[in-house]
Amino acid sequence: MIDAMRATVALFVTLQLAGAARADGDVARGEARFQDCAPCHKLEAGANNVGPSLHGIFTRKAGELGDFRYSPAIKRSGIVWTPETLDKFVTDPQALVPTNRMPYAGMAGAGDRADLIAYLQSATK
Amino acid sequence: MTTKLKEVDVVIVGLGWTGGILAKELTEAGLKVVALERGAPRSSENDYSLPNIRDELRYVVRHDLMQNTARDTITVRNNPQQEALPMRRLGSFLPGEVVGGSGVHWSGHTWRWTDMEFKVRSNYEERYGKKFIPDDMTIQDWGITYAELEPYYDKFEYTAAVSGKAGNIGGQLQAGGNPFEAPRVRDYPLPPLTPILASEMFTDAARNAGYHPFPRPSANASQPYTNPDGSKFGGCQYCGYCQRFGCEANAKGSPHMTVIPIAMRNPNFELRTHSWVTRVLKDSDGKRVTGVTYTNVLNGEEFEQPATIVMLCAYAINNVHLMLLSGIGAPYDPVAQKGVVGKNYCYQTGAGATLFFEGKYFNPFMNAGGSNATIDDFNTNWAFDRAPLNFVGGYNVSGGFNTPLPIGYRPVPSGTPQWGSEWKRATAKWYQTAMVINASGSVMANRYNCYDLDPTYRNAFGQPLMRMTFDYHDNEHKMGRHAAQVINDIAKSMNPTRLNPAAARTDPWTVVPYQSTHNTGGTIMGTNPRDSALNKYLQSWDCHNLFVVGANVFPHNSSYNPTGPVGALAYWTADAIKNRYVKNPGPLVQA
Repeated sequence: MIDAMRATVALFVTLQLAGAARADGDVARGEARFQDCAPCHKLEAGANNVGPSLHGIFTRKAGELGDFRYSPAIKRSGIVWTPETLDKFVTDPQALVPTNRMPYAGMAGAGDRADLIAYLQSATK
Repeated sequence: MTTKLKEVDVVIVGLGWTGGILAKELTEAGLKVVALERGAPRSSENDYSLPNIRDELRYVVRHDLMQNTARDTITVRNNPQQEALPMRRLGSFLPGEVVGGSGVHWSGHTWRWTDMEFKVRSNYEERYGKKFIPDDMTIQDWGITYAELEPYYDKFEYTAAVSGKAGNIGGQLQAGGNPFEAPRVRDYPLPPLTPILASEMFTDAARNAGYHPFPRPSANASQPYTNPDGSKFGGCQYCGYCQRFGCEANAKGSPHMTVIPIAMRNPNFELRTHSWVTRVLKDSDGKRVTGVTYTNVLNGEEFEQPATIVMLCAYAINNVHLMLLSGIGAPYDPVAQKGVVGKNYCYQTGAGATLFFEGKYFNPFMNAGGSNATIDDFNTNWAFDRAPLNFVGGYNVSGGFNTPLPIGYRPVPSGTPQWGSEWKRATAKWYQTAMVINASGSVMANRYNCYDLDPTYRNAFGQPLMRMTFDYHDNEHKMGRHAAQVINDIAKSMNPTRLNPAAARTDPWTVVPYQSTHNTGGTIMGTNPRDSALNKYLQSWDCHNLFVVGANVFPHNSSYNPTGPVGALAYWTADAIKNRYVKNPGPLVQA
């Protein structure tokens, strides 16, 4: 009986984690995870590189910066960037927005993504 | 009319790997540097991001990143009895022509050439006797040692984000690496790339045959990486568009995303693009150079850029051409075997098989520039006895893919019609099922393989074209036959459904199909001015303030890709200039 309860709790936790971004990310670890992104994305306002500047990303819609050449897929995606939508996107960018042009295969670990997003929430303001 | 500009400390001709490394190192040492690049400015963010890339028509057919042959090309012949004709469309090799040079469109293969090359004549004479080397094989020792170059190889590998597995760290053999490599101080900065099915199958077959396969070291970052200069690399996405393309993921080590932007941020540096250097200027007694003349190819304006030090860092062929056009050093004469500039032009040779496996799916569109496994058993393995085969040098064999283009790569079994519905059916059937095994072989210097100025044809600036005289000789034919046999034995052991076997090249070399952009020699380094143009610091024996950097300094060509020693020698020369030459200008080696 106790084992069954444990299993249920574990299942519940798993579903929770799969359904939404974790809010327990670590900013310092996230800065290290940002190494995946830094070759193409800068954090300063207006500093577009291979990818668009991430400054103020959590106040923006996808494809919104006027001076960056986005893919049509990103522009019509209708995504508003929140910790939750960014978590989904970074998990597997081609799954969420097929034919987008970001050359990145995705970050598999939910904990890694939580760390990254925690870092971005502090670093993109 | 030529406008004379203000003198600078250093003028660099050509801004690829070597020019970029020297620009960064010398500006950091406080020198005022101007770089003259014949091509356009290019950057990852503006030019090598989607949707501007993955375009076979633009980059492969129309050679967007390569030398414009309407402006300047070379003439080609196989031997001095022939009349050389101009190459009007790039074929056998593809010199780069943008900021970043050939470092933009290379695959990233990064090898360490060792004392097997640097002491080639001594090694073979000691082991096999003087008579083993044919009279017309003009190989010579380089005047440098692996031990001297080791720290600079290391520096280049860490700058360019080379992924690989060490085979020998400080004399200790490392499982999974190349057991025949020379000892290195530490491992590569990044672990090997993820192997593809074709390289795994080759690895198994080579190991079963008793050979020693290892993952090919390549400047394709296997994971995100920040190099010691702070340049940031993304992880390779295995997009399949490596060779001939700029990298969309910033994962391929290239000068335009490492050393060049660092130099660009330095106030000591200035870059002038679209600037075609026509001549290196000498002072009245010919002991020093005083600068260069160049033409702005956009408007035809001509300039003289005086400089205290001149560095030729253009493509290997163009460096030699500039030396000949400027009359620096005695031009080489293959009949009298006198002179040095133009001597020992070398290329590479090879053989290859295509294997077809019904039921396999190789996904050839998905790979990195270095997704191969390689064996060095017939190359840097000095225990491999050349005596019964009677050739000098060696070859490496690799299995896997390097940029098999989705449109251009159409493997079909031999005997298939070359067009029509039968060809279409075959290419659809076999595309997914094919893999290749290739050998890349060294080419030893031959007295008749050389460069000089063409007596007939001229470029857009009215200057004689460079003339290349080249053919393969007995040494390469013998090596090719041996390589084909080794490849075919491995291939048959893998039991393919169909096999297009490897065959040795025995026809004369032709400039038409693409072969390799590994042209070496022409202004070779050496121990004395009688048989070399440059000393071991790549400094001209004739004019001490002229340095010539690139594969044009190699006295012969090995089986390996040249960029490892090209990058290492650039750092080596930078140190010699910073630490010795600027403090006491003059010959760094006494003739």
